[in-house]
Order: sequence, then C-alpha cells, then structure tokens
Amino acid sequence: MMLPGFFFPGAGFPGLILALELSGQHDEDLARRLQRRDPDAMKDLYDRFGRLAYSVVLAIVRDSSMAEDLVQETFLRVWNRIQAFEPGRGALGPWLLAIARNRAIDHVRSSASRIDRNAFELDVREHPSLFVDMEREVQNTDHARVIRAAIVKLNPNQRKVIELAYYEGLSQTEMATRMGQPLGTIKTWVRAALTILRQELGQAVAA
Amino acid sequence: MNCEELRGEYGAWALGIAEDPERSEIAAHLARECSECVAGVRSAMATAAAMSGAVTEAVPPKRLRRRIVAMVSPEPNRAFAFLPWAVSALLAIALVSVAIPGREKAPAPNVSKLEQALSILNDPMAKDVTFGDPAARGRVFVSPGGVVLIAAHLPKLEANRTFELWLIPAAGNPVPAGTFHAETVANGSSAVYVYQGATANAAVVAVTVEPEGGSPQPTTTPFIVTKL
Repeated sequence: MMLPGFFFPGAGFPGLILALELSGQHDEDLARRLQRRDPDAMKDLYDRFGRLAYSVVLAIVRDSSMAEDLVQETFLRVWNRIQAFEPGRGALGPWLLAIARNRAIDHVRSSASRIDRNAFELDVREHPSLFVDMEREVQNTDHARVIRAAIVKLNPNQRKVIELAYYEGLSQTEMATRMGQPLGTIKTWVRAALTILRQELGQAVAA
Repeated sequence: MNCEELRGEYGAWALGIAEDPERSEIAAHLARECSECVAGVRSAMATAAAMSGAVTEAVPPKRLRRRIVAMVSPEPNRAFAFLPWAVSALLAIALVSVAIPGREKAPAPNVSKLEQALSILNDPMAKDVTFGDPAARGRVFVSPGGVVLIAAHLPKLEANRTFELWLIPAAGNPVPAGTFHAETVANGSSAVYVYQGATANAAVVAVTVEPEGGSPQPTTTPFIVTKL
C-alpha cells in the first residue's frame, strides 16, 4: 500500500506552504469576483488552489484521470455555490479543499461499494457558513511544516486512524473492524489525535 | 444529546466519519445554529483543512486548467442555440401554470417555477438533449444548477404512482431528483418539470414510474433515458 504524504515529513513543499499563506483581502476580492461571475476569477482560483486540490484528491483516489475529473467537479461546485459564501469572513481555500476531499472520499466510498452514510450531509459539511473566521488560523503559518511536525507527535495508532479517516473516509466502526479494536478504543485514538493536531496548529498560530 | 456530549465528535464530523447518533445530532444542532456546536465544528473544520498541508504535492496536467476555465467561459451564441425550445419551454410553463383546459379555476402563475426554469435554460453551461420514442418524447435541459424536463406523450399513471427523475453518474447509483405528475392536455399527457439542484455528476438523466412519494432507488425500468 502506498504510504500517503503524512509519512514523508522530510520532503519540502514551498508551493504548498505558499498556497496556504493567504491574504484575507485577496480571498475577499477573489470571492467577490467569482460572485460577479468573472471568468478570469476562475483562472485565479485555479492558479491559487488547483495544485493543492489536485494533490489532495490524487492522494485519496490514486488515479490521475479520476483526480482530474474530481478537481474539475470541485471547482464547478465552488462556482455554483459561491453566492452563499461571505467574502468578508469566509476562508476560500479551506472551503475549496473540503469540497475537493469530499468529492474524493465520495468516489472512494462509491467505488468500494461502501454504504455512503454521509451522502446527504455532504452539502451540510460543505456549507460556506462553516468556513468563516478561519483565516486567522490558516494564514501566515508554515502549514506543511506545522502539520507534519504535529503528526510526528502522534503515536502509531493515532497516526493510523487519522490516515484511515483522511485518506479513506473510514467510519470509526469500519476502523474498528479494520484494526481489530473495540469501537471505544478507536474513538479515543481519533479524539486524541485530533486534539493533538488542533493544539499544535493553535500553538503555531499563536507563535 | 447536548453540546457537551457531542463535543468529542466535532472532529470526526468534520472529517465525515462520525456515526449516528452523534452525526445526526451534530447536524441538528448546526441546523438550529447552536452557537457552541457551530464554533466547535468550525474549529474542527479548520483542523481538517490544515491536514491538506501534509499531502504529497502532485503537479496536475496543464489540460486541467483549460478544462476548468472552459467551464465558465461564455461561448458566443451558445445561449441562443436553443432559443426556439427555450421559448416553447417558457410558454409551456406559463400554460401549465396559468391555464389548463378542463379546469374550473386557473391556478395562480407559478413565478418561482418560471424563474427557476429561466435560470437553467439561460445558463451558458446548460446542455440539452432531445429524446423520443413511442413512450414519450421531449427535451431535457441540464445546467450545473438544475434540470428542466419537457415531455409529452407520457404513459398513463395508475393510482398512487408518480414519475420520478433520476440523475445517474458515470459510476455509482442513480440520484433521485424529485417526483412529478403529468397534466392531461389535448390528446395526451405532458409535463414540464423543474429540478433545482446540483447536477455535476450526472451522465444520464432518466425517468421511471414509482410509488407515490418516490423511491430512494429506481424500482422500474426507465422509460426516458437521455445521455448527456
């Protein structure tokens, strides 16, 4: 099984770092242009987030052709839903990346014939209102370095469940089956892992 | 469940891996704009978003940018290509909405339905496909934001049955896109149905006959199948 990006902390990705060092004003201007249906705004949106969105999707679906289709679908979804986005408060990058990951996970679940219990809630989890006031936390931080450093602090079980969650969208029950562990144990590992990641990211922002 | 009970599952919910009852409960709290859950979920979403920073970088092919830009670039004259059908569709909607032969009272104009149809018909990205066989014929317009179906010579429905529209992806199960009934006009049954919703995945549009209220998945063979 190909190891996902989590396990290569030594690799440097300045492009990824820059992609997430967003200017709040830049986000706002771009969102407004998208809302005005400016086709050039789509070019700018892709130039800023296209590579990262493609990287996320490809890491999950592991098929370059499918990744292209899903990234295209992602940008179309942003275009169709941008009117609900609040330019002055919303975080365009995190919203787009959430949509991209959801498309990829949806595809993986469908391909594996897994019952998609979350099918009807994809729209809820992608609603722009959940991605407001996030810019303070994601801009001006060395995200790639911070998140990789945070992942290193997870123990192997915590790292494993985060990998299964992020790259395969396994439910905690499915993880329990895969790892041969009680559901309660899995939930403990997931919560602990996310708490550590959250704390490390929060400390990085505060610094 | 209260917020304290749900707090530990915000992260799982943000990653799309929460399960019931917490999954539904969090959705319900968000729906009623519970301030604590909204704040907690937003924080969890930020963490989930940040995780993308650890992904191995991959370079997309140059054609992907062209594809995405082409989606939203206006094509000259495309908006007028189906004008005759657009006019017919609008008239059909107005007719169905305003005056139906045989009815004692004319229903109030369905302005909202008309506006929905216009937004779909006028979308430069809308595709339109004509279909026709002995069972039914007509045209379907599909934009990223919805579907307008105009069909005539529809089969007669038995009691407690309805027509149901489906959006079928290239891979995966059909997605239900609402139910509708036909109106008996002149010598046959016709329908103008407007569906407002995302259609990005749709490769095929189909119509089946289902029990009243619709079905989560088709239970009969489609009698309208249009490949987009």
